[in-house]
Amino acid sequence: MMTTPASRHRGTEAQRNFLYLCVSASLCLVIVLPAAAHAQAPANMPPYTPPKLANGQPDIQGIWQVLDTAAWDLQDHGATLGVPAGRGVVVGNEIPYKPEALAKKKENAAQRATLDPESKCYLSGVPRITFMPFPFQIVQQNDKVNVLYEYNHTIRQIYMNGNPHPEGHIDWWMGDSRGHWEGNTLVVDSVDFGEETWFDRAGNYHSDELHVVERYTPISPYHMRYDVTIEDPKVFTRPWSLSAILYRRIDANVELLEYECYAYQLEDQFTKK
Amino acid sequence: MIGAASLMLALTSAAGAQAIFNPKDWPEGKLGPGAKAWSVERDKLPPFTPPRTQDGQPDLQGRWGGTWSGDDIELIPEFLDVTTPPWESWVADPADGKLPYKDWALAERNAHREGLGREVWSTDPSKHLYYDPQAFCMKSVPRYSQRGYELVQTKDTVIMMLNWGHIYRVIPLDNRPRPAGDVRLWMGTARGHFEGDTLVIETTNLNGKMWLDSAGNFIGPNAKVTERIRLVAPNFLDYSATIDDPETFTRPFTLRAPQRRQRAADAKDPYAAESWEHACHEGNREHEQQILQLGFKWYLPPAAPAK
Repeated sequence: MMTTPASRHRGTEAQRNFLYLCVSASLCLVIVLPAAAHAQAPANMPPYTPPKLANGQPDIQGIWQVLDTAAWDLQDHGATLGVPAGRGVVVGNEIPYKPEALAKKKENAAQRATLDPESKCYLSGVPRITFMPFPFQIVQQNDKVNVLYEYNHTIRQIYMNGNPHPEGHIDWWMGDSRGHWEGNTLVVDSVDFGEETWFDRAGNYHSDELHVVERYTPISPYHMRYDVTIEDPKVFTRPWSLSAILYRRIDANVELLEYECYAYQLEDQFTKK
Repeated sequence: MIGAASLMLALTSAAGAQAIFNPKDWPEGKLGPGAKAWSVERDKLPPFTPPRTQDGQPDLQGRWGGTWSGDDIELIPEFLDVTTPPWESWVADPADGKLPYKDWALAERNAHREGLGREVWSTDPSKHLYYDPQAFCMKSVPRYSQRGYELVQTKDTVIMMLNWGHIYRVIPLDNRPRPAGDVRLWMGTARGHFEGDTLVIETTNLNGKMWLDSAGNFIGPNAKVTERIRLVAPNFLDYSATIDDPETFTRPFTLRAPQRRQRAADAKDPYAAESWEHACHEGNREHEQQILQLGFKWYLPPAAPAK
């Protein structure tokens, strides 16, 4: 159960997370539904039911973007030149590294200019791609959800066709993503990551045993809650969670344009020589 | 370099498609089928009205195999190598299958071709000018369409997703204003609408940094590309791209090719209809640095001479 300041204000919402099974008037079982804890809206947001597509799925299509500073550092951080200060998105702010892994994280941070895969314009991995300061567009089909990211024209195809993760292990930059709906929440289970992606510009990283579960929950026409659970027994002592808000881009004429990172980098390299 | 051999593979794997225009069945010794052969086959098809989406649009959705050549789009007169057998031009108009270059532009195209160092696969940097820009995992319009893509329609957009290099296009159907003319994008800005059963896509704001093929054919950054896509049989799209670029060409010209529906999932391989990751640049860095060491320059569109 996540305990965020917001959840403390959501008593009525929290009550929805209990299932009351009454066998008789005097015998009721109260079952806690842990998954529903993720669906809590932040304080001051009234309960929200998203519109449905013709196929009955909640409609979360549109262009979305984060407004936080997790691209620089998932955790609370102060400002330095070119880096805005920000509250982190890690629930409880602690990332439970194993001791040797924490040392590697610190080395990553110190040598970020050369070690960060972003410096080579590689695909960002998950959930880093969500936190890149670029918009992304969700396009739903009956059997998959497509997420198109402006950064490096990245595509994620989240299959909901009944196929499990393929036999692995497969080293993919963006992993293998399988989705399903829990109420109005899109739940995405991703494995099959390589070791080469990071979580942010602060050197937070993972191994190929990374397992990511993302939950996209619409909480207003213009906001989605983005809750993520990270598991990686090679690097962390226990699973840990992120929680952030996705904002719908409603600017006039908003559309995905381009950020062709490696094309700019190669042009720079070739033309400077 | 991906040429005709792989496109044949893509086509022949399209089990269940109507048995027309299958290069595998093309008579030995004939040029591979291009724009002209496709036009002939297409005109033999019975009249066809595409099904409609729930929004009333012609339903063009599905996974479509790319067709037209990645090598010389004009004509491959003779066998070059296993990836590039002799092939008919993909230029439907003009009728001679040749791109109607202005003189300066033809000289430029010829310089591109010579500078590939292909004749002797030269390793001498002094023989090298540009490498095919697609080697850097980029695409543009219309060259994206030589690869397979999945087409998805919503009420107000058409989405195309390539497996190759995770290239995509989101094409608004509401004719919204484009960004300013000096905004230059690899994929340009696209605006679509339906004319009867035909999806018409107009693309501008291109950056001119991508060739039409790997043999040096090119269009300028101020080209307007008008694509027309129509479902002419349950499993075939008729695809054309008309390029309007008066700085580079004496007249507009049109590329034309079929796109064949890829097979659906089957019981033997439930993953057959899935698009798995094609990370291109990530595995390409060594190749990129070799191209640099071989003396190739980064291709930037040539300036058209002042009138």
